[in-house]
Amino acid sequence: MAVLNIAVEKGCFSYPKGPQILQDISFEAGSGEILAILGPNGAGKTTLLRCLTGMLHWGSGRACLDGEDIRSIPERTLWSRMAYVPQARSASQVYTVFQTVLLGRSSRIGGFSKPGEEDLEAASRVLGMLGISHLADKPCSQISGGELQMVLIARALASGPEVLILDEPESNLDFRNQLVVLDTISLLAQQGMTCIFNTHYPEHALQRAHRSLLLAKGGEAISGPTTSIVTKENIRKAFGVNAVIGEIETPGQTLRSVVPMSLAEGCAQQEEQTGKRRVIASMTIIADSNDTAQQINEILHRYNRLLIGRMGMPHRGCGLYLINVSMDGPEADILEAGHLLGLLPGVRVKTVTAQIEDTQTQNR
Amino acid sequence: MKVRKDGGLTAAQSVVLILAVPVTAVIALGIGRISIPMNDVLSVLLGKITGNMTVAALTEKTIWNLRVPRILLAILVGAGLSTAGCSFQSLFANPLATPDTLGVASGASFGAALGILLGLPFTGVQCLSMAMGLAAVGLTWLAGSGRGRGLGQIVLAGIMIGSLFSALVSFTKFAADTENQLPSITYWLMGGLDKAGFRGLLIGGAPVIIGIAVLWLLRWKLNLLPLSDDEARSSGVNIVRLRIVTVVCATMITASCVSMCGQVGWVGLLIPHMCRMLFGGSHLALIPACISIGAVFMVIVDTAARSMTAAEIPVSILTAMVGAPFFIILMRRSGGWQY
Repeated sequence: MAVLNIAVEKGCFSYPKGPQILQDISFEAGSGEILAILGPNGAGKTTLLRCLTGMLHWGSGRACLDGEDIRSIPERTLWSRMAYVPQARSASQVYTVFQTVLLGRSSRIGGFSKPGEEDLEAASRVLGMLGISHLADKPCSQISGGELQMVLIARALASGPEVLILDEPESNLDFRNQLVVLDTISLLAQQGMTCIFNTHYPEHALQRAHRSLLLAKGGEAISGPTTSIVTKENIRKAFGVNAVIGEIETPGQTLRSVVPMSLAEGCAQQEEQTGKRRVIASMTIIADSNDTAQQINEILHRYNRLLIGRMGMPHRGCGLYLINVSMDGPEADILEAGHLLGLLPGVRVKTVTAQIEDTQTQNR
Repeated sequence: MKVRKDGGLTAAQSVVLILAVPVTAVIALGIGRISIPMNDVLSVLLGKITGNMTVAALTEKTIWNLRVPRILLAILVGAGLSTAGCSFQSLFANPLATPDTLGVASGASFGAALGILLGLPFTGVQCLSMAMGLAAVGLTWLAGSGRGRGLGQIVLAGIMIGSLFSALVSFTKFAADTENQLPSITYWLMGGLDKAGFRGLLIGGAPVIIGIAVLWLLRWKLNLLPLSDDEARSSGVNIVRLRIVTVVCATMITASCVSMCGQVGWVGLLIPHMCRMLFGGSHLALIPACISIGAVFMVIVDTAARSMTAAEIPVSILTAMVGAPFFIILMRRSGGWQY
C-alpha cells in the first residue's frame, strides 16, 4: 500500500463575505498515487488546490504533508517538496524554455545566489526526461500549447518534489497532447510521486486515477477509490447531467469512458443499486514483467476476501505473465480491483461478470 | 544577440559591457567647448592618482572640476534610471512602466520646486526633492496596497498620486515670482546635468549606488517578478518581500537621480527595452546590460547636450530625439519583445 503523504482534514473555505465554497473536504493520497479532482465549473476545484498548497488559507480544517500542517512548514522547505503547475493560460511566457525550467529551482537557490552547475544539470535532466530538450533555447511565447504545458511540468519537477499538483493540465490540448500529459503523470506516479490534478474529464479520472474527489456546487465533496466515485449517480448529482459510463473493447483492454447524454431535469430517477449487486467474475490479466506481476499479487492480496480461484503462470520466452482469477462479491469491489490492476504499467485486464441471482451473463 | 543558456551574459559580452563605460567616459572627458587631447585627459587622471600634475592648471580644472563630476553624474543617472525602469517593467509585467510609475519623479519635482520657491540652497533643494520623491511613493503604497489588491491597483494609485504632485508643481510655479524663481523651476524641471558637483554627488550618489547594487545582487531572483501570482508563490521565494525590496531600491535610485538632475525622461523606458531586445528577458543579463548601456547612453547624450551648440541643450530633449528613432529602428529589426 502506498505511503500516505498528503491529507486534507475537514477543510472549509469561503471568501470574505461570500458563500461557502468548500465544505468539510477530506481526502488523502499517497506516494505513487494519482488523485483526480472533478467538478463542474465554479465548484471550487482551483480554490481547493490553492487551499491545499497554502496559497489560500482554510477557514477551518487543515492540509497536511507527512502529518505536518502545511502552513507550519516554511515556504522554502514546502516548495522544494511540493510543486504546483498552474493553468497554462495564466503562465507567463517571458523567458526561454530553459530559463523557465531553471526558475523551478528557486526554492533551492538562496538569497543573492544564482543558479549553479547543479541547478543547470537538474534543469537539463528534467527536460531530457520529458523529451523536450530540443525546445531548450526557444522562447516560451513561440511554442505550442502542448509544449508549454510540458515546460510547466518540467519547471515543477526541477525542484525534485514528492508531491505534484496540477491545475487542469490537459485542458485546451488536442488528443495527442492530452495523452502525452496524462502519460507523463502516470509515469511520475509509477516513479513514486504523488500526483493531484484537476480535470474536466471524468474519463481521465477513470483511466488514470487511483482515487478521485468529486466536488459539487455548494462545496460538498465525496472522495474515495475512483470506481466508486465516478458513477452515473454521482455525475448526475454533481454535474446535473445524465451520463452513461461505457466500455470500449480493444483487443488488449477494456477502456472506460463517460458519455454525457442529456441534462438531468428536476426530480432524480430511481437510483440503481448496481454497486451492491453480488456477482461472480472471471478476470484475465496479462502482465509484461516480473515487477508488475508482484504488484498485481499485492493488489490481489488486498482483495483476498473476494477470491475464489486463482491461477498464475509466467509464459517463458516472451516475458509475459498470465493470471486468471475468479471472484465472488459486491460488483463495486470487483470493479475497483480491476481498475487498480489496469492502472499498473504494461498490465492488461478484462473482466467478465455474471449476476448471481439470475444467471444472465454480461460483459463487464 | 545570443546569450548563455541560463540567460546570463557570455564572457565576451561581459567584457565589452564592462569596458564600454570607462572608455566612453574617458573619450567624453576630452570633448566639450574646449577640446582637450586624449594625452592630456589621461595625464590629468594619472596625475590625480600619482599626485604629479604635468598639464596646465586650466586644463586640469576643466577636466577635474567640471567634466569629471558631470560624467560621473551621467553614469550614475543613466545606469540608475535604466535599472529602476527595468525592475518596474518586470514588477508590473507592463512594458509601459517607467521609474515614474509610482509617482516618485513627480514627488521629487515638487520637492525641488518647493525648495526653489522657499529659496533653499542647492543642497537643501536636493534633500527636499529626494524626501518628497520617497513620500510620494509612500503615499502610493498606502493608497494602493492592501489585502486582496493586485499590483494593478498600485499602478493606478501611482498615476493618481503622480498627477496630484504634478498639480502641486504647477501650483508652486503659479506662486513663484516670475523674475527669478519661475525660470529656475522651469529649467530645473527640464532636467540637466549642469548642476553636477562633487558635493551633490556625495549626497545623491550613495542611494543610487546602493539601489543598483542590491538589484544587481538580486538579479536572478528578479526573474520571478513578471510571473503570475500563483507561479511566483509556488517558487518558494517570499515574493512580497522581493517586490518591496524592488520598489524600495528603484524608488531610492529614481528619487535621488531626479534630485540631482531634474526629470530626465526616456532613459528609464528606452534602455531597458533595448536591452530586452538585445539580450532577452532574463535579468541575469538585463540588469548588467541596463547598468552599462544606460551609463554609456547617458554619457554620450549629455556630452552632445553640452558641446553641440554654444548654449547647452536640456538633456531630456536630446534623450528623446536620439532615443526614440534609435528605439524604433531596433524594434523593427529585432521584432520587438513581448510579455
